[in-house]
Amino acid sequence: MASVSIRNVRKSYGPVEIIKGVSIDIRDGEFVILVGPSGCGKSTLLRMIAGLEEISGGTIAIDDRVVNDMPPKDRDIAMVFQNYALYPHMTIADNMSFALRLKNTAKSEIAAKVERAAGILGLGPLLDRFPRQLSGGQRQRVAMGRAIVRDPKVFLFDEPLSNLDAKLRVQMRTEIKEMHQRLKTTTVYVTHDQIEAMTMADKIVVMHDGIIEQVGAPLDLYDNPANMFVAGFIGSPAMNFIPGSIGGDGFTTEDGSRLPLGGRVPAASDGRPAVYGVRPEHFRLADEGLAAEVVVVEPTGSETQMVLRPLGSKAGQAGAGREDRKRELTWVLRERTGARPGEVVRIAPDPARAHLFNPDTGLRL
Amino acid sequence: MSRPLRKLLDKAGMAVCVLLLVSPALLFFLWMLSLSLKFEIDNGAYPPILIPERFAWKNYTTIFEGNSFLLYFWNSLIVTGAATLFALLVGVPAGYGIARMQAHKSAVVIMIARMTPGLSFLIPLFLLFQWLGLLGTLWPQIIIHLVVTVPIVIWIMIGYFETTPMELEEAAMVDGATRWQIFAKVALPIAKPGIVVAFILSVIFSWNNFVFGIVLASRETRTLPVAVYNMLSFEQVSWGPLAAAALVVTLPVLILTVAAQRQIVAGLTAGAVKGG
Repeated sequence: MASVSIRNVRKSYGPVEIIKGVSIDIRDGEFVILVGPSGCGKSTLLRMIAGLEEISGGTIAIDDRVVNDMPPKDRDIAMVFQNYALYPHMTIADNMSFALRLKNTAKSEIAAKVERAAGILGLGPLLDRFPRQLSGGQRQRVAMGRAIVRDPKVFLFDEPLSNLDAKLRVQMRTEIKEMHQRLKTTTVYVTHDQIEAMTMADKIVVMHDGIIEQVGAPLDLYDNPANMFVAGFIGSPAMNFIPGSIGGDGFTTEDGSRLPLGGRVPAASDGRPAVYGVRPEHFRLADEGLAAEVVVVEPTGSETQMVLRPLGSKAGQAGAGREDRKRELTWVLRERTGARPGEVVRIAPDPARAHLFNPDTGLRL
Repeated sequence: MSRPLRKLLDKAGMAVCVLLLVSPALLFFLWMLSLSLKFEIDNGAYPPILIPERFAWKNYTTIFEGNSFLLYFWNSLIVTGAATLFALLVGVPAGYGIARMQAHKSAVVIMIARMTPGLSFLIPLFLLFQWLGLLGTLWPQIIIHLVVTVPIVIWIMIGYFETTPMELEEAAMVDGATRWQIFAKVALPIAKPGIVVAFILSVIFSWNNFVFGIVLASRETRTLPVAVYNMLSFEQVSWGPLAAAALVVTLPVLILTVAAQRQIVAGLTAGAVKGG
């Protein structure tokens, strides 16, 4: 087990800078998830920790030892790849023990370690098979077994679940979390799926365009996003953003509707343009609220998701374009509803849980 | 037209097309086989006879009696075997290096060496071998066959190594393998089908090579194609024994190809990555 310290790390391919100065501190035993849209540099950063990618600037240290110029084999890390990367010509047992055999570990010790890992992951009956004879979920488990057997300082996961179907993904998510609680090995996990990040991480690092947008515990990011990007990225369905301006003790939308701010008006901000952010589940029915037409109703059983088009806004007219669709609001409610498309409802946001953002910088006010 | 009849016609049409396409290769073989089993009188007959009334097995026995055929067979075996072995030893690692370092330019250089007509460097090499005192041994032929076999092996292996998923090697890297261990324990076993293909093609090209042999071989160091050619020129043109000899020369390559084809199992990388 170990800590990982990433200090002002940069990566460029020629003139293109992919990672623009990133610093993260990962404590011993922590489960850290790097999350962000495709191309944000999260996988590159992980590969730099693994030693598969050169570091253009800054330092990466494992257990206070700078590893910038250390080859992967000396870093004592284990990595699980998106495509499993199992050796096709080796049995499952040989796949799992490959690293130990390279280190000339005693046969009895190898057998014991493989058996233990197979026990943890339920791979016992499969040890003599070849990867091609296994299902996707089993292969993923073998890839994890290969990491466990090593007993490394750090586990690295590169989108390990993205090739699995939805149901298996949820199951493996739980298994990985359980495994971490049991082994308490420092883990860095890359995903583009914010649900994975929310459910598994001790600490989430939200990346975007090669920089870190915010670092924090999952619920902390959810409740207190630092900026519009994090607010929009974390949470599904995404947060509603309503442009307008701050005035008096409330917020005026672009089409003149008033939204409450619950007395949290930032000082000296009268008339200042802002973006009002509210999560889909933080609306409630209210007589004095925004009038909106129901566009789509999507029941999932446990909850109902509704897409609403605020009345009085330009989106109300027929033939709403893409620009207008942006102004549509999503509302998630726990209870079931008889609402039908075309009906008009009045909803009000919970001011205590709403956020205001600067429309230019995206930062939270 | 009824459906079953239509299906039958489709099948028949397909069969005719296939037959037409393979007939040049097939008929040529059949005719050689026929020639090798006929007496000279039947070979010259008009209209031509495909299946003779009496089989001339003697054509086959004469090859082994007269012409130190076994010596030439042995020579061929040594030359082809050594040229292929060396080519694999050099070409497989070279192909790996070129594929991994994306050294396409050096691949092109090797291709140019292959495209250059063999005759253009035969004479200088002949003088070199003479100077080294190697003439009269099999070494000149082994060395010059490498000109044919090494590029084949390298080019086939480049293709195979380029299709090996990079993630497998990265996994091995993280698992603690050195560059050499990655090559030997991961890349090489996965490329086995490619090695088999390279081996077969290398054997075929080397075994059938004629030009190098005719220039560099002495009476004692002839390979089979040269020996067959000599039958043509020094005895009168006796088609029967000639065809028999040619068939015997082709046979090892034929058997090898048929046998090894079964080992070219494309599914070897299945299961390595998603979708395998």
